[in-house]
Amino acid sequence: MSLQPIAGTTDLGVGRWTTTGRRARTFVGRLLGRTDGLVGVVILAFFTVIALFPSVFVGPLEGVLSATGQPLDSPSLAYPFGTDELGRDLLNLTVHGARISMVIGLLATIITVVIGSTVGIVAGYVGGVVDNVLMRITDFFLVLPTIVLALILAPIILDVIGAQAELFGIRSTLLVIVIVIGLTSWATTARVIRSQVLSVKERMFVDRARVIGSGGGQIMRRHILPNVVNLIVAQSVLTFATAVFTETTLAFIGLGDPAAPSWGQILNNAQSAGAPGLGAWWYIVPPAAAVVLVVLAFTLLGNALDDVLNPKMLGRR
Amino acid sequence: MTGVREPGAVSATRGRRQVPLPRLADPAAPLLVVEDLAVRFSLPSGSVKAVDGVSFRLDDGEALGIAGESGCGKTTTALSLVRLLPANGRIRSGSVKLFGIDLVPKTEKQLARYRWREISIVFQGAMNALNPVRRVGDQIAEPIEVRLGRSRDASRKRAAELLDLVGIPGQRASAYPHELSGGMRQRAMIAMALACDPAIVIGDEPTTALDVMVQAQILQLLERLRRELGLSLILITHDLSVIAETCDRVMVMYAGKVAEEGPVTRVFTAPRHPYTQKLLSSFPNIHADRRTLDVIPGQPPDLRNPPPGCRFAARCPFVMDVCREVVPPEVTFGDGVRVACHLYPGRDAAGPPPRVVGATRTCDAASSTDPAP
Amino acid sequence: MSAHYILRKLVQAILTIVAIVALNFVLFRMMPGSPERATKNPHLTPEFIAAERAKWGLDKPLFPDQLVAFAISTAQGDLGYSIKYRGQPVVEVVADAAGPTVLLIGIGEAIAIVVGLWLGARSGWRRGGVMDRIGNSLSLIFYSMPYFVIGMPLIIIFAAGLGWFPTSGMTTPGGDKGPAEALFDLGRHLVLPVTAVALGLIGAYSILMRSSIVETRSEDYITTARAKGLPDALVLRSHAFPNALLPMVTLIAINLGYVVAGAITAEIVFNWPGLGLLTVQALDARDYPLLQAIFLLIAVSVVFANFAADIVYGYLDPRVRA
Repeated sequence: MSLQPIAGTTDLGVGRWTTTGRRARTFVGRLLGRTDGLVGVVILAFFTVIALFPSVFVGPLEGVLSATGQPLDSPSLAYPFGTDELGRDLLNLTVHGARISMVIGLLATIITVVIGSTVGIVAGYVGGVVDNVLMRITDFFLVLPTIVLALILAPIILDVIGAQAELFGIRSTLLVIVIVIGLTSWATTARVIRSQVLSVKERMFVDRARVIGSGGGQIMRRHILPNVVNLIVAQSVLTFATAVFTETTLAFIGLGDPAAPSWGQILNNAQSAGAPGLGAWWYIVPPAAAVVLVVLAFTLLGNALDDVLNPKMLGRR
Repeated sequence: MTGVREPGAVSATRGRRQVPLPRLADPAAPLLVVEDLAVRFSLPSGSVKAVDGVSFRLDDGEALGIAGESGCGKTTTALSLVRLLPANGRIRSGSVKLFGIDLVPKTEKQLARYRWREISIVFQGAMNALNPVRRVGDQIAEPIEVRLGRSRDASRKRAAELLDLVGIPGQRASAYPHELSGGMRQRAMIAMALACDPAIVIGDEPTTALDVMVQAQILQLLERLRRELGLSLILITHDLSVIAETCDRVMVMYAGKVAEEGPVTRVFTAPRHPYTQKLLSSFPNIHADRRTLDVIPGQPPDLRNPPPGCRFAARCPFVMDVCREVVPPEVTFGDGVRVACHLYPGRDAAGPPPRVVGATRTCDAASSTDPAP
Repeated sequence: MSAHYILRKLVQAILTIVAIVALNFVLFRMMPGSPERATKNPHLTPEFIAAERAKWGLDKPLFPDQLVAFAISTAQGDLGYSIKYRGQPVVEVVADAAGPTVLLIGIGEAIAIVVGLWLGARSGWRRGGVMDRIGNSLSLIFYSMPYFVIGMPLIIIFAAGLGWFPTSGMTTPGGDKGPAEALFDLGRHLVLPVTAVALGLIGAYSILMRSSIVETRSEDYITTARAKGLPDALVLRSHAFPNALLPMVTLIAINLGYVVAGAITAEIVFNWPGLGLLTVQALDARDYPLLQAIFLLIAVSVVFANFAADIVYGYLDPRVRA
């Protein structure tokens, strides 16, 4: 298991986050002008297309009954990625896995960023006791081994809402993973956003707006939020990397949905089938490479966004 | 302190100096001669001509003040002497001759020989300039041990002596920077600058972050050390009164160029360059009840793309057509003052400086003393 | 380091543990098979339920009575009985599995801290250099890999393929082995799992150390050190590194929770008989008391590790020490 988003630990709090017209026009150019930005965007574009239209490329998801190949066949012309222990085409599984992994990642990211940003903005803007209480809770979640907590929470939540329930067409087993990742990984975002809000708050116009008579909620929406939105974007991209990473881990440990196999679930199947010991590398490499590429791409893109949106001073004098 | 013998070192010393000169030194050469120095910073948005064609000279035992608004290139000029520029800064041309040795073509490794042993720096705001996790005494002893090759004990002993010299009890050597007050930290920084008995000490706004009482104490200390040790000093500050009290000569810079340079007594009593005049009149007179504060309208030019003529033209009350097109040449007067301004065309130009009229207004004492916007 | 500082950090740690116990209590009341749910059985008479509730103290208010009772039994080490291990106290089951996990994480962390910090410091100090480009790219790749994704290829190549190391387990079963032989056997089993954990951590630590060094590099005291004409290596070693290390102490401790979770996946891959494997078994059997005990042990360990990190931080940073 790896860390929370990298940018959350770098000094994000000092830069200016203004978006001028000129900067907005050159934004895409500057992002794609960087190696990390370009590589990140290209990899993500590839996986996004696959995730949107998996059936166009490899046909419908193969199930246990619709499996067409021999068990554990190494790559061949008919099955370029080989087959799993049930004879399913691993190319088919990996491509469909993209959709499942990335949808879970996306939903979990939304929950994480919404909770994290709200807590960060409120704590940073309101300050005082509210800030203190919210930050103690945040620190608690930072220290807590959240993935281990997720291992208990997931079956409990599943038991409460029922295994067959669906929401927005997503089965409850997957939904549980989404909720668990969202609930347990917002703390880093909250911390990063809060420190940015604190520096925004120092600036004059907030005082002016307050004098004119706007309420706290209005100031947060109209004045604070636009100034931290760049940071939230960069943080979201990095959170997505963590979410895909965490989903893979949880699915591998056994919280996935065998009927809707994400990359982590495929790797779980591979482990159960004893693929590593049998030397069945083709069972492991495609889903593993997909996970690594997507996490890497989001991390690269997140850092590139961070740098482009938050230009650091080059010279001091 | 006694000299450290280097193989083949010229044993000649200069004045009070007890450490041998660098091997290549010309004993007859002036202490420091900077000629036509140009420094650029590369930014994503373009190349900043931060220092452009700056020349000056510093003699043994002399104190030179460099004045100007923030961003005029005074710190960059001083730091480029030993090439301590940020990673995006480069010396584009010019020479820095110390004892006649040009430092500009030296490699980083060769240049290390001259850092601190010949030119040391008292940085602004010693809280950040001192390493927060190391004891003050160790930080002072470090260059003595590493650069002069003394034993650790001897270095520590010398560090304690230096602290004594700047008015800090020697036993405070074991303190960490945060345990000292701002004034004490600045004293420790000065002690550190003296560690290798350097030829030149540069003070980069050494009193700026301090309150007025402490400022006065630090200035007195620098005065005393100058007198007792015969230091050669370059003092960078935007505070003209500091230069008036401490320095022999003053160099006024504007937008990366020298506007006026000469003996403090001459420049401060009869400023010739319109910028110097503005700068002096914008400075509050301590002896007057109501201060006459002259605010210079406008902003310094964008140094990524400086104007073709005089860089002060846009803000100058005496601006002429020629100022906007031709860079004014430097003219040296009989009293040793050097000015770069089209108001003084001839070489031996004489006559009283023109009076500034019109732009003067009276402000309350509470107004900002900083002419920069 | 002042007693006040240590005391403050200790109080924080204890409060965090209290919060964890309270969270555990909430989970305990929510989970399937909890007494609250068991009493919903329609076949039981109300009288019987009332009597049972009184017997187990469930008639008392949740707060403070039930919570306090729960906290007291937790403190006494009474965490209930395992379902999977046929009524064995979960504390015993967890204690047996903790050793191998501590061994795996301990060695992995030690290697990763030394190598990762060194690599990150070197990369950041010469940002854009050859070492930085190669080191940072590799670090990013390992950072993006869950430990089991690192572990699986290791098995395929070095165990199943080349046969240098065993594919799974902690010891070779059977046969009488002398102490030296047993230690060698353990070492052979340790190599691959430790490599998987260490590689993942090295990626993370070197990236973080790199950015810490890059930030430290622009500090004024580094300019001072350069102005002193000190050799570059000395500026790094005695000025940049000690300062860049400070945030790393906290980050390494905060990160420990994730390391444990990652180690769980590595244990699964290598069939390493630690907490990770136990977690999966408990999960499969829906053995909630066991899961809770594992969570409690790991959470409390992580809190203590953070407390230890605070003490180390205080030792390294004189501004805190005073």
